[in-house]
Amino acid sequence: MGEKGALIAKFLLVRVAVSVPVILGIVFLTFMLIRVGGQDPVAMLAGPMADEAMLTALRAQLQLDQPLLLQFANYLFRLVQGDLGVSWQGGIPVWGEILHLFPATLELVLLSVGLAALIGVPIGLRAATHPNGWFDQLSRFGSLAGFSMPTYWMGLMAILVFFYILRWAPPPMGRLSMEVVAPTVVTGSLLLDCILAGNWQALGSALAHLALPVACFTLLAAAPMIKQSRAILIEIMNSDYVRYARANGFSKATIRKMALRNAATPLLTFLGMELTSLLAAAALVEYIFSLSGLGQWGLNAILLGDFAVVQGYVLTLALFSVFIFMVIDLIVMLLEPRR
Amino acid sequence: MSAEAASPSHWLAYPLGLARRSPTFVVGLGIVLFFLGLALLAPVIAPFNPTQSFSYEVLQAPGGRFFFGSDGNGMDVLSRVIHGSRYAFGIAVPAGLIMVGIGMPLGLLAGYKGGWLDEALLRTLDVLRAFPTIILALAVVAATGQSLVSMVVVIGLLDSPIFARVVRAEVLTLRSSTFVKAAIAVGNPSWRVMWVHILPNAILGATAQLPMRMAWAVRISATLAFIGVGIQAPTPEWGAMIRQGAEYVITGEWWVALFPGLALMTLVLGFNLLGDGLTDLLDPKRRGVGK
Repeated sequence: MGEKGALIAKFLLVRVAVSVPVILGIVFLTFMLIRVGGQDPVAMLAGPMADEAMLTALRAQLQLDQPLLLQFANYLFRLVQGDLGVSWQGGIPVWGEILHLFPATLELVLLSVGLAALIGVPIGLRAATHPNGWFDQLSRFGSLAGFSMPTYWMGLMAILVFFYILRWAPPPMGRLSMEVVAPTVVTGSLLLDCILAGNWQALGSALAHLALPVACFTLLAAAPMIKQSRAILIEIMNSDYVRYARANGFSKATIRKMALRNAATPLLTFLGMELTSLLAAAALVEYIFSLSGLGQWGLNAILLGDFAVVQGYVLTLALFSVFIFMVIDLIVMLLEPRR
Repeated sequence: MSAEAASPSHWLAYPLGLARRSPTFVVGLGIVLFFLGLALLAPVIAPFNPTQSFSYEVLQAPGGRFFFGSDGNGMDVLSRVIHGSRYAFGIAVPAGLIMVGIGMPLGLLAGYKGGWLDEALLRTLDVLRAFPTIILALAVVAATGQSLVSMVVVIGLLDSPIFARVVRAEVLTLRSSTFVKAAIAVGNPSWRVMWVHILPNAILGATAQLPMRMAWAVRISATLAFIGVGIQAPTPEWGAMIRQGAEYVITGEWWVALFPGLALMTLVLGFNLLGDGLTDLLDPKRRGVGK
């Protein structure tokens, strides 16, 4: 066991060391991108009535008149101390806001990816066992169609059908109905907080508000899942060891079990990629349904030129992606008997 | 399908055989050609000028004078959807050219030479993978201005490393093949090996990726316009039209957002089907397990 522990420790150390330059690169890229041209936060903050002197003063106050590299050094210096700065729009510390909003978005993403995996993976595997059959063609077309549908448009159409026409869904504004008392915030995830508080009315309302966004997001996430799980299983079924097993006369069930076990690791890796890309894609879903999560917050910040918030948002996404890949690679390493 | 039509001498034999081998390819090609036709003939087909405003006929339901209804400015939705295909191709085609123009030499060099260039390409891909593309595109377009040209350049540049990776993978498998070794052994300079011997063999597999990347370009440009970055409202671009229509969805004027979205989805699907079918036709491994 000690040997395994050492192996894990070494793996984590190497991964963290490798991740640092990637994260630094992302921080630097974001920093420069939002500052070089584009949205001028000073003009937006000062409003249309401000004159040149006010703009200059505000620019100096926000330290935007310093050389870019000096600004970056200052930002990095504060970043390593855990200070992500303050939102210019709301005056709220960015770090606190991330902690507050991240669980809400994670709730949406995890629910959708979980559902998508439950739907998409079995479909993909079933399609792979009968390639080019009717089921395969149908699922392939469905997956491509889901892949091609713009998320925001799907959300709008869902609102049209389920809110406007059928009146099943609550209005697409916020995460709870107006008349419902919100539970005290413990985890930040509304569903968990409702359960912890035993507030069943709020739980019902929260679920009703989440149903449409989660459904749209699930469709979006399931499409690549179908495609990928089909490709993975087909590759395995075409491999030499499966052919050998078949030549040996193993039953179809045995071969399938063998193939599925080998499909687990690439599937897991793909799931990680899905998780990270969907955390970013959540911005649009939250925007359409006004869920006021991390994504909507980050999106608004980009549009408004709220630099510290954009930085914090992108950093959160990047750290999340690095973390997920680290966990998944660790699991894969422990699962793989090779090495 | 009659025996006559399937006989090799018949002029329909090849398309019919293709349709049987890869229905996705043919359907995708059909969709893309349909929209290309719309784009080319837009001024002839469209019943109205896409930005002509009939101020007394705002938000008319589909039917009657406006087949797809009219929007909040009293503009004909059908004409705007038809003209929107011009923007879709106007972005996808040049962005695709940029992707190929930068991605192909880059992938070729990285795959063939290896070394620091390969390393740099891989690290760039790492950063892109960890960096949400839509955020990146949003930031760059916001930073470089909202013109159509800058949008095309940004989309093409952002996607070229992804295209480079595809080419690189092809080159890596070809580099160790016998004919390349032979070409090197008889004393070809490396640029000749790369461009004359490897590229023609690598290009087919990479070309299959192009429609999918174009689908992405159409999608991302519409998404940016929907958020309000990039092309702006009275321009008949699909994403911008959906943005306009979004506010009418909860009051029931559904046609303003529905039709541009349908067009966008169909064209993106067409590109994706085309790419999927091409990959199938070119790669025997993906055709599935033999019986």
